[in-house]
Amino acid sequence: VLKVSLSLSLFVSVFKCLMFGWIRASELTFELPDNAKQCFYEDITIGTKCTLEFQVVTGGHYDVDCRLEDPDGTVLYKEMKKQYDSFTFTASRNGTFKFCFSNEFSTFTHKTVYFDFQVGDDPPLFPNENRVTALTQMESACVSIHEALKSVIDYQTHFRLREAQGRSRAEDLNTRVAFWSIGEACILLVVSISQVVLLRSFFSDKKTTTTRVGS
Amino acid sequence: VIWMEMKAVVFCTGLMLLFAWLSPSQALYFHIGETEKKCFIEEIPDETMVIGRYRTQLWDKQAGSFLPSTPGLGMHVEIKDPDAKVILSRQYGSDGRFTFTSHTPGEHQICLHSNSTKMALFAGGKLRVHLDIQVGEHTNNYPEIAAKDKLTELQLRARQLLDQVEQIQKEQNYQRYREERFRMTSESTNQRVLWWSIAQTIILIITGIWQMRHLKSFFEAKKLV
Repeated sequence: VLKVSLSLSLFVSVFKCLMFGWIRASELTFELPDNAKQCFYEDITIGTKCTLEFQVVTGGHYDVDCRLEDPDGTVLYKEMKKQYDSFTFTASRNGTFKFCFSNEFSTFTHKTVYFDFQVGDDPPLFPNENRVTALTQMESACVSIHEALKSVIDYQTHFRLREAQGRSRAEDLNTRVAFWSIGEACILLVVSISQVVLLRSFFSDKKTTTTRVGS
Repeated sequence: VIWMEMKAVVFCTGLMLLFAWLSPSQALYFHIGETEKKCFIEEIPDETMVIGRYRTQLWDKQAGSFLPSTPGLGMHVEIKDPDAKVILSRQYGSDGRFTFTSHTPGEHQICLHSNSTKMALFAGGKLRVHLDIQVGEHTNNYPEIAAKDKLTELQLRARQLLDQVEQIQKEQNYQRYREERFRMTSESTNQRVLWWSIAQTIILIITGIWQMRHLKSFFEAKKLV
């Protein structure tokens, strides 16, 4: 009987591990073509605190429309042409929440959008029952360090995205400078040569008419 | 007694597998068309592990809902490294798990598309894809590590903090490499602007001088000057 209960408890804990093994934070970077709309859905239970953060990485004026709806279709968050924003809400009911990013206002620039959708709190490290006792000082220190490091990683991500934005603008500028310089040099040469040729052609015509009149 | 134990084991395994199959439904999902290719970008430092899990459901027109599972439905996963070289290109079933470790830092592209020909039979086939991509230290399964290495709670927490700090260090190294590239691009732009301004001024002056000299000799030849 002891063996059975032991193996039972092992399986229960492993199954709980599998349940909590699926981490409830989704972070994705995707490309949104022009005139396109991309929607994502998530099933959320009532009372869960959720956070949606998004940032436009590359493309055009670095802005996108974002819209978050609850299962009833009520719009919880709606912003047009936003570069970066963060929105926290608590799920008021069970069901499928939907959030969409739209690039429909743009005619030819496609955008790269990053978003981070956090649902609920992080799963506990130890999925076991004995959390009745309070955390020791060491454990609570570890917890606060963990939270601080999480916010460091979060800031790093946003910094990385802003740096990517700056870098793509710089690379764009670099190629533009190259093309425009070469183009302008060519235009300069063409215009100066054609000016001379045109001027010569004016005087050549007059010469023939005057000689005809003279003779 | 042994038979009862076996029954309990089988029952628990069954329950475990059931919940293992059910739990992907908690991930984020989106819809894609039949042959549509959906790509996601992951900008990661080198030696970082990425685990992606997905689950697909096919829209059933008759039932008016998504089928819980469709055998025979396949997804093709293609992963490209920052140099546009394909590092993974495989076909998986309707539920799949792909994993790769980056060897060069930069933007990796993860593309998914369904190449199931069966879907052509369903007019207006819509596919629901549940996707979960975890990067770096989020790929670690801490309860599993605790069980394997027999760590106490404090040791496990310290382990988690060490992994997080390692990820921060890798990201900072990558940041330094990116900043170097940015600086090179800016310096190249600076050089180009400088040299092209000088070159264009010289071209301008030379063409001006050439024009005047040419026209002067032209008019002198025409006896107008």
